[in-house]
Amino acid sequence: MQPFAIFWHKQTIILEQALNRLITNGEVGISVLNGKTIGFSLQDLPLDVHFVCANERIFVLSATNKPTDVDIKLKSMVFISLLHGEDLTELLRQDKISIHGDVKTAQLLVDLLKEVDIDLEEIASKYTGDIIANQLGKLTKKFNPTNMESNNPLEIIKDGLTALLINPIKFEQYKHKNS
Amino acid sequence: MENTTHFGFKQVATNDKQSLVRDVFNSVAGKYDLMNDVLSFGAHRLWKRYTIASSNVKDGDKVLDIAGGTGDLAIEFRKKVGDSGQVILSDINAAMLNEGRKNLINKGVFGVEFIQLNAEYLPFDNSTFDCVSIAFGLRNVTDKDQALKEVYRILKPGGCLLILEFSTTDSALLKKLYDFYSFNIIQKLGGIIADDEASYQYLAESIRKHPDQETLKGMVLDASFDFCEYHNLSGGIVALHKGIKV
Repeated sequence: MQPFAIFWHKQTIILEQALNRLITNGEVGISVLNGKTIGFSLQDLPLDVHFVCANERIFVLSATNKPTDVDIKLKSMVFISLLHGEDLTELLRQDKISIHGDVKTAQLLVDLLKEVDIDLEEIASKYTGDIIANQLGKLTKKFNPTNMESNNPLEIIKDGLTALLINPIKFEQYKHKNS
Repeated sequence: MENTTHFGFKQVATNDKQSLVRDVFNSVAGKYDLMNDVLSFGAHRLWKRYTIASSNVKDGDKVLDIAGGTGDLAIEFRKKVGDSGQVILSDINAAMLNEGRKNLINKGVFGVEFIQLNAEYLPFDNSTFDCVSIAFGLRNVTDKDQALKEVYRILKPGGCLLILEFSTTDSALLKKLYDFYSFNIIQKLGGIIADDEASYQYLAESIRKHPDQETLKGMVLDASFDFCEYHNLSGGIVALHKGIKV
């Protein structure tokens, strides 16, 4: 498994935990999504996940053997703008997002994802160790588009993590470049 | 040949496999944890940690750990389900279950139930558990398909099965090193530390006879699970399969 694939799988675990924590705490309800399978892809990143909703639980899978109820495809920057309040219908109208299937189900998933407030550093520290988690935390702070200049934020995360996982020396250079 | 199955590289009568496996685990039970640490260089703890992180088990859940041995997973599940949940540590082998009971008592973990059972015939009602785990145990089960069907039956909708098991590496170099280690070092260490070379020869052989990642995924889906995915750990030497019942 490539280091980046490991990273994304960890992200799916973290996302799954965060979503289910929201459900358990009663902060969100997913009864309307029960039995639904939703495909979700970021076109400019190797991120292709499926959300499976069953009996008040959500599973985040990297692949499914079954047809999905709805497929959502969009670019990472569009996803970020969606999370920061951009209107789904408006993005659809502008062809910035592709939805095959029930738009209402897609809207429900987007609403759910907006609720996720992951403290990546805290969660990751539980199974990556504090040093790596701390680095992850620093990297995710760059996710906020208000901190962005012209670079794609997910590319920054990708580059940083690749550097961290493959070549720590390069990661030090990356840190200086982005500090 | 009908009515036969594999026991390591040997072909044995299907009815005999269970008692042969029992003999292996009766023999290794006392040194099981020590041998796991030595043979995997401690990596089995990371693999199990990854399994727990993937489990999505929460407060109040009911969890069954099959072939739970010395209770590594059960201890972590107990922390996750809290007092309102339920964790059952099960094993077909009484000696292993006793080691698990001792281990939990020594670590001050209470509230875990212990049941000696055969994974092919699970004594529970339909839709009882939120999560069922089996770590390094499935390859010792005689009728794996029957065991997977039973797990599906006792899982609630929205429940998941976690299978942590030795698997197949794609890397030619890793495979060479792993084969050398398995058939030259593991047996010797088994002889030196546990005074039992034969049992550790079975361990190495049974890993090679276990279905690879894709085959096991197919078996999980054939057992009626709606979804199954796996993730390779340590280059595919170990894989975690997650089956989901919708």
